[in-house]
Amino acid sequence: MTTATASDVLATTPARRRRHLASARIHLVNLPLSLGMPWLILGSAFVVNLIIFGMIPMDPGDARTTGGIMSIYIFALIAHILSVTQTFPFALGLSVTRRDFFAGLSLVIAAEAGLQGLVLTVLRAIESATNGWGIDMTFFGVPVLVQENWFLQWVLYTVPFLALSYLAVLAGTVYKRFGQAGMWLAIIGVVLVGGAAAVLLTWSQSWGAVGRFLVETPPLALVAGYPAILAVLFAGLGRLLLRRATP
Amino acid sequence: MTAVRMRGVTKRYGDFTALDAVSLELRENTIHGLLGRNGAGKTTIMQILTGQNFETAGRVEVFGHHPYENSRVLDRVCFIREAQKYPDGYRVRDALNAAALLFPSWDAGFAAELVGDFALRERQQIKKLSRGQLSAVGVIIGLASRAPLTFFDEPYLGLDAVARQLFYDRLLADYAEHPRTVVLSTHLIDEVSDLIEHVVLIDEGRVLIDEDADVLRGRAVTVTGPTAAVEAFAEGHTELYREELGGFLRVTLAGARPEPRLRSEGLEFEPVSLQQLVVRTTQHTLDDRKVASR
Repeated sequence: MTTATASDVLATTPARRRRHLASARIHLVNLPLSLGMPWLILGSAFVVNLIIFGMIPMDPGDARTTGGIMSIYIFALIAHILSVTQTFPFALGLSVTRRDFFAGLSLVIAAEAGLQGLVLTVLRAIESATNGWGIDMTFFGVPVLVQENWFLQWVLYTVPFLALSYLAVLAGTVYKRFGQAGMWLAIIGVVLVGGAAAVLLTWSQSWGAVGRFLVETPPLALVAGYPAILAVLFAGLGRLLLRRATP
Repeated sequence: MTAVRMRGVTKRYGDFTALDAVSLELRENTIHGLLGRNGAGKTTIMQILTGQNFETAGRVEVFGHHPYENSRVLDRVCFIREAQKYPDGYRVRDALNAAALLFPSWDAGFAAELVGDFALRERQQIKKLSRGQLSAVGVIIGLASRAPLTFFDEPYLGLDAVARQLFYDRLLADYAEHPRTVVLSTHLIDEVSDLIEHVVLIDEGRVLIDEDADVLRGRAVTVTGPTAAVEAFAEGHTELYREELGGFLRVTLAGARPEPRLRSEGLEFEPVSLQQLVVRTTQHTLDDRKVASR
């Protein structure tokens, strides 16, 4: 190419500013929906539990534990599948590179996980300070996973968010990259591998070892350590597959 | 100066060849018409030029660099697809806000004005828009982005005639004030023939025409008259189309010029519209291929 025909557009026109923040903001244009909805769902589950347990007379032998906190994790899972299947095509349509899209999405995931973990930690603190909202109800604490150290409690809440979010990103990316057929193949693959593992464990009579592993592994490693490794694995795999994904 | 350069670009999907050694250059600060039938490969070209899709072979340059994952290039590119997707829950204003964040030359005032022109409301849910209103959102983003290289891929689906004219008028007026490179892929050739300065005609993944619109308009002529006289005139020219009725013949000839003195022999000359030329050229190539494959 001769310099006479070289375009000077790149030198004379402005470039995108704060590109990672800009592509992160695409996910957050409708904040009431993306941040408000999961708490609305969790909040209504909490109120319903509060009312029901409030009506039942207290029985010291009966642990009042709910699984309501799971809803906010499931919301993250669904939300970030959509981040890839819906927001990725939109972002690429607005000339965002796959690299910037992933970086922006990672900013969102990290911020969401950190903040939601923090709010859950605070709610857990209130829960224990008020003796279970005055009616001995454990909503935000998960019995075996309660930590004395508040920082560790935050880590416990936050890391599963990261792992689930990146699992969702990976699933969405598989769908965008390989289509519906690829998605089903991946699901069948996971089921087969899981089934094979179960058969292997039964055959070698190792279920006891699995049980021991689950009981003996410190909760922090089980719910934060291993999920952290998974989060990195899912994120790396998702990023790799995204390179050749089309909108 | 050249905004876009493709050299021998081929795209295969399995054993289907979507693009077959496409070579073309798009001049800077020009409105280009990318014409061709459905499935001709227009969208594939634009996807490759915006790094959304990958060429199987060949060389691709946008502003002198390959566009794939190249933010320096893509910051200056806007590609409005007919099938542009918007995330669930997005309102018109959310899409415009996102575009405002991402396009460095975005003109918010212009965007707001266009929203009024196309009778949209900023709080409308994009999911609930009609096909025409959805197209209008794309058109607004494409115009207000003022990207140095803007692609419009059939941006008019569902837009009524008034709204389409509005789009053409706004594009031309804004282009005059802010010159940039525009690529307009369309089937409505007559509607844009005054707008486009350069024509690229694609058919079955190949470039059939790559020519300035002015040159093209003078390149063909339709002659009508008594069969013998028309045959005599047509000799030596490439015939793009022939119609015979009674003793009269009507042919469209490439490379021929009208000769008014032949009027005395009963010959009538008519200019060929861009649309006719495109249709005839495409049909002509189709016939040639049929002959060749026989």
